Amino acid sequence: MLRRCSGSVLLTTVPALVAAIAAVTLSVVNVAAVTVAATAATAATPATAATELGAGAPQEEYEPVPMPPGFKVVVSEFEGPVFADEHGHTLYDWPTHQLRNGPAGELKGKPNCDDTHYTKTAGLMSPYPPGLLLPEPEKRPTCAELWPPVLAPDGAKEIGAWSIVQRKDGRSQWAYEGFALYTSALDTQEGDVNGGTKRKTHGDSPADREPVAPPPLLPPQFAIAEQTTGRLLVTRQGASVYALADERPGKLVCDANCTRDWSPVLAPALSRPQGAFTVFERLPGIRQWAFRGEPLYTRISEERTHSLEGSDVPGWHNVYTQKAPPPPADFTVQDSPGGLVLADSRGRTVYIYHCGDDALDQLACDYPDAPQAYRFAVCGGGDPARCLKTFPYVLATPGVKSTSRVWSVLAIDPRTGHLAVPGQADALHVWAFRRRPVFTCSFDQKPGDLRADGWGEFNGYRNGFKAFWLRDDFTDNAG
Amino acid sequence: MSSTLRDAERRLALAIAAASAMLAEALPAALLAVGLVGGNVLAAESSTPKSIGYVMTDEHWALYETPGAKQECPKGFNLGPREQFKLLFPDPAGKRSVVETQLAREAAVWFPSTTPERFEFLEAQGPIALGVNLDGKIGPNDFTSPEGEKGIDNQLYRVIGCVRNYRREGELGIITTKWRQQESFNRLIIEITGIDSLENDDDVQVTLYRGVGDIMMNATGTEYLPGGTQRIDRRWGKRFIQTWHGSIKNGLLTTEAVDAWIPEMGAFADASQLFFHGMRFQLKLTPTKAVGFLAGYADVDVWYYALNTAWATHHQSYGQSSAPSIYRAVRRLADGYPDPKTGQNQGISSALEVTFTQVYIDHGTADPEAVLQAARK
Repeated sequence: MLRRCSGSVLLTTVPALVAAIAAVTLSVVNVAAVTVAATAATAATPATAATELGAGAPQEEYEPVPMPPGFKVVVSEFEGPVFADEHGHTLYDWPTHQLRNGPAGELKGKPNCDDTHYTKTAGLMSPYPPGLLLPEPEKRPTCAELWPPVLAPDGAKEIGAWSIVQRKDGRSQWAYEGFALYTSALDTQEGDVNGGTKRKTHGDSPADREPVAPPPLLPPQFAIAEQTTGRLLVTRQGASVYALADERPGKLVCDANCTRDWSPVLAPALSRPQGAFTVFERLPGIRQWAFRGEPLYTRISEERTHSLEGSDVPGWHNVYTQKAPPPPADFTVQDSPGGLVLADSRGRTVYIYHCGDDALDQLACDYPDAPQAYRFAVCGGGDPARCLKTFPYVLATPGVKSTSRVWSVLAIDPRTGHLAVPGQADALHVWAFRRRPVFTCSFDQKPGDLRADGWGEFNGYRNGFKAFWLRDDFTDNAG
Repeated sequence: MSSTLRDAERRLALAIAAASAMLAEALPAALLAVGLVGGNVLAAESSTPKSIGYVMTDEHWALYETPGAKQECPKGFNLGPREQFKLLFPDPAGKRSVVETQLAREAAVWFPSTTPERFEFLEAQGPIALGVNLDGKIGPNDFTSPEGEKGIDNQLYRVIGCVRNYRREGELGIITTKWRQQESFNRLIIEITGIDSLENDDDVQVTLYRGVGDIMMNATGTEYLPGGTQRIDRRWGKRFIQTWHGSIKNGLLTTEAVDAWIPEMGAFADASQLFFHGMRFQLKLTPTKAVGFLAGYADVDVWYYALNTAWATHHQSYGQSSAPSIYRAVRRLADGYPDPKTGQNQGISSALEVTFTQVYIDHGTADPEAVLQAARK
C-alpha cells in the first residue's frame, strides 16, 4: 500500500503499491511477447484471441492489415503491437526530425541510413560547431550496422501500406507508409523494442527511430496516448477515459448525480462494436461505449489532456489498452513537486539517461555498448569514479527478479560503464530499463526530490538525465 | 506539452466555476462553510478579520537597469557560451574532438569550479540597486535604492546585472513570464489573513501556496484581471506551503524572514525550484494588486543548478549567459548563511521584482456538490 503518515509518503515497495495505485501508475502485466500472426499470412489477424495472456492482464488489439509474407505483428510488453520480421525483430522507421540547425532522418522513399562511416559532428545542434571528432571514431559503427535495412527479396510484391524503395547501393528495401524499414542491433529477442519508442520525444531529442505498428483497434472517437504507465485510452481530443470499479452495462453505478462530474462517452447512432469496444444503451436511445465490459466516461472538470487526476477519485480508474510492466521490487513510487516518480528502495528519484550524438546518422549513446564519454562528462565532469558517486547506478538486490523483459539486470564494468566481461569480479549488477541502466542522484536528499531532472545537455533530453516520471500533473513528462 | 480540452464538458465546467464565482459574491458565509475563502472581500465596516488572495503574474530578478546599461555595465555585457567557445577553440573544425571541446565545456557547467578562468567577469557597477535590506544593517557592500533607502542587499545583482539573459531584454525575463501565464507548475499564490485594513495592520499572516488554475486575462491577453479563482495544490505543492507573519504600514506589507522553496519554470516548460534562506515579502497592496519584492538569500547551489536544469547551454547562449563564469561570481559574492563547517556562504542576497493580481482562493476542501446545492438555494 501507499502508506501515509502525517502527510508524508513512506517508502513502499512496488509489489505492495500495485494494488493501491494500479489505476494511477503501475499494475501487473503479463511479461510474454506474443506472436499473433502467421509468418506466411498475407493479412494479420486481430489479437482478440490473444488479449488475455500470462497473468491475465490484457494486451492491446490492432487492426488487421495486409502484410507481405515473412512479416508478423508482435505484441510487445511496453510498446504494444509492433511489426516484426520473420525472426521476430521489431521494425523501425526513421522519419525526419527537425533539429536546431537542420533536419535529420529520412524522407519517404529516400533511405539514407547506409554504410557511411561518420567520424565528425554535423552541427545539427547548438551552440557547438560542426566538424568536431566524435568519441571513439575508429570504433564507431555505421548506421547500417546498428540499423540493418529490411531488404526486399527479388520478386517481392508491394501490398497495402507496404512498398519497396531503392537504396543508394541499388538494393531494394521494404517501406511502410513510404518510410524505409530497419531492425535494431539492440533487439535480440522477439518482442524487444530497445531501438526506439512510440512515446513522443522532446524537440531537442535526437532524431530517434520509431517502432512501426499496425493501427490500434479503436473506434474513431478514441486514441492511445503512450505513457510510462502504459498505453492510455483517451478520446480523439486527448481527454482521459475512465471507468468505475464494478460497473458493467446493465449494472450502472454512476447515477444522475454522478454524471454531473463524469460524462458518459456516448456512441454515435451508427457506431458498432469493435474488438473489445462494445456499445450498450445507457437509457433508451442513449448509447454508451464500454471497453472490456467497463462503461467509459470522461471527467468533466479535467482541463489537461492525458490526465491521471480522475483516478484520485475513489472507485475511478484510468483505462489502458495495455499497461506497462511493473518495475521490480527494488523500486518505490514517490510524490514529487510535479507528480509521481519512480524511486529506488530508499525513495531516491530514479533517472533515465538520454543520449544521441550530433552526427548525420544520429546514433544513440545511451546504452552501455556506446561510447561513455558523453555520460561521464555530465555525471562526473569526465571522471567515471565521480559519476559513480554523483549518479550511482540502481543496484539490483540479489534474488530480486524482474517479471518482464523491459526491466533487466545488467553487469556493468564500473570503470568503463560498458557491459562487464563474463565473470568480472567487480562488476556491478544494476537495474536497466529497456537495456539502459537507471540511476539516482546524490544531490537528492529526500524522497520526491528532483534536483537532477533536466541535468545535462538540452535539459537532459540529449546528453543528460530525466526523472522517471509516472505521472506529471503539470508538464506531461510522463507522456 | 499539455493542451486544454475545448468541448462541451469544458464549457460545463466553466459554467460551474462561474456559478461558484457568483456565489463568492453573494454568499461568502456559505462559501466559508464549504471551504472557499473570498479574496477582495474587505469591508471597512466589518470588524471581522478578513483575507485576500493574490496570484503571481510576473517576476524578474531585481536589476537596476539604465538606458544602454551605461551606468551599471560600463564595460558592456559578459560573454556567453558561444563567444567563450570561439575564444577557447578558435580553430575547432577538423582538429578538435567532442570530448576536449563540447564535453569539456559541459563538464564545466555541471561540475563548476571557483579557480580563475581566462575570461574577465563583468560585475554590475554603481551604488544603486533594487531590493530589500535583508540584514537590517548598512554595510560597505550594500546598495542604495533608487528612492534613497540605504542598506539594500542584492549581491546577485552584481552577478547577473551584466548578463543579458537576466535583463528585461533577455530571454529569461521574457520567457519566464510567458511560461508563468501558460503553465501552472510555477503558479504562486499568497493569501493574507487576519487583515483589519489593507492600509495599516500590525499583525497579518501570509501563506504561500502553489495554485492550480489559469490566470484570468482580458480578451486580448494583454492584462491580468483580478477576480479569478485559484485552487490550492495541497498534494504536489505541499512542500511549497509556508507561512510568514507580517505587518502592513501605509499599504506596504512587510513580512518576517522564513526559509522557503518556490517552484520555477524555465525554457520550454522545464520545471525547477529555488530555495531562499530567510525569504520575505515586501509588497505594496491594493485590492486588485500586490507589487514589490520577494527577497532573501538564494541558496547558491540550488540557484545554480536550477539555472542549468531549466536552461540548457543552448538557451543560455541566446542571452550570453555562461554558467561556469556565473558560478565563480555567485560563489565569490555569496554573502549570507555560512556553512557551519566550512564557513563558506551558502546564500547570496537577492530579490525578485514580483507582481501579484487578486484572486479568490479555493482551499480545496469544498464539496463541489455542496457548492452547487448552495447555488440552487
